[in-house]
Amino acid sequence: MTTVNREELLLDAFATLADTLVADYDVLDLLQTLVETCATALDVSQVGLLLSDGSGELELVASTSESSALVETIAIGAAEGPCIDAFTASRVVSVPDLGDGAEWPAFRASAAQQGFGSVVCIPLKLRDTTIGTLNLFGEETGVLNDRDMKAAQALAHVATIGILQERALRKSDEIRSQLEFALNSRVVIEQAKGVLAHTHQISTEAAFDAIRAYARKTRQPLALVARGLVDRSLSI
Amino acid sequence: MADHFDAAAAALLSLDRDAAPDAALLADALTVTGASISTLGDFLGTETVAASDDRAARLDELQFDLGQGPCWDALSAAAPVLEPDLLGAGATRWPALSDALRDPGVAAVFAFPLVLGPLRLGAVDLYSDRAAPLGPVGEEQATALAAILSRHLLRRALRAVGQDEGVDQGSRFSRRVIHQATGFVIAQLGIDPDGAHLLIQGQAFAEGRSMRDVADDIVARRLSFAASSNGFEEVR
Repeated sequence: MTTVNREELLLDAFATLADTLVADYDVLDLLQTLVETCATALDVSQVGLLLSDGSGELELVASTSESSALVETIAIGAAEGPCIDAFTASRVVSVPDLGDGAEWPAFRASAAQQGFGSVVCIPLKLRDTTIGTLNLFGEETGVLNDRDMKAAQALAHVATIGILQERALRKSDEIRSQLEFALNSRVVIEQAKGVLAHTHQISTEAAFDAIRAYARKTRQPLALVARGLVDRSLSI
Repeated sequence: MADHFDAAAAALLSLDRDAAPDAALLADALTVTGASISTLGDFLGTETVAASDDRAARLDELQFDLGQGPCWDALSAAAPVLEPDLLGAGATRWPALSDALRDPGVAAVFAFPLVLGPLRLGAVDLYSDRAAPLGPVGEEQATALAAILSRHLLRRALRAVGQDEGVDQGSRFSRRVIHQATGFVIAQLGIDPDGAHLLIQGQAFAEGRSMRDVADDIVARRLSFAASSNGFEEVR
């Protein structure tokens, strides 16, 4: 990718994120946009975003692929791996070579099986509150270059602000409810994937793509489309 | 009558999870002399859960002892069984039952199955001391109340054996699969997410497997509830 291209992509990404913040926006769409932007504009191959459910457990709410292999790798990293470590310590955890190290053997094995060479986990934090992590997987080994790291951290910050919102910062239980909303939306999206997968006899990954495409085409939030499919007021 | 029905539906829906339902409420709502609620068969065991009066309890007991009667027929057919003239024109249907109910003066019986998808839970028995049909509105209302009762009884039974944790079982990744499977069941049976989730839970319990196992089978299309032509709920 040329430098100009990348800069344009990043600019677009920030503009999109900023737009979503001023208008009425859906948290889940914002996060989906974020992970897709990271994968396109940065030198990484897959991206997943984990949010805390408030009890210390992390749940995957957006990822660049819905394949069960990637979802499982990130889930393992969220249970015992760099993702949960980045969250707990509230700092970036960079693993430049997944093949070199003894920590988190299950996570390393799972990541290696998918051809990942490196991973960077960036905490989503604002002041004293850490709400999740942004996890960037690369096929090559090596550290993420400075530029990309800075960009990823800036994107993570903007996303965090988007999730928490100004007004939500006033009360911690409002933060909680905003997170719960995002996590519950994810439940409905999984259910909607199942509805569509059965109805059209397609894979759950293809079902997600169809839901996402429909949401984009009709300019509706992902969660709203999913809810329509689940309560059967919508069929696509 | 509609008021009584609404009140009964609301009371059943707000029942505490461990509480036994009130059979007298059913009898009032459906304007019959008495009502009983029982679990039947291997799944939840055969017993009377609630009876509005002695005759209703006796009606259940006789059917258990005889191994025949409307409650058994309703359950095996997963459809209502209506006998508006048990002592007259309908006396040949279950002769031993009719004989035994002549003295107590049970003149009409109506049984509604308690089912959820393929799960056979039990039946609601209604009786009248005069021969008369229940009528289409009564049938529809009884079916609706039976659907609410089915869920309540299944939840109560799962709770009693400590299997009510539902989606909280297992890892985050498991939950995704369970949510997807819930979507499959929603599409297969046309029921709501709550019922679909409960069905997976009940199925897991019936087969002595984990919800994740059952969910895996559903998502991999090794298990489908769509094939069963009867026994799913019409009430949402």
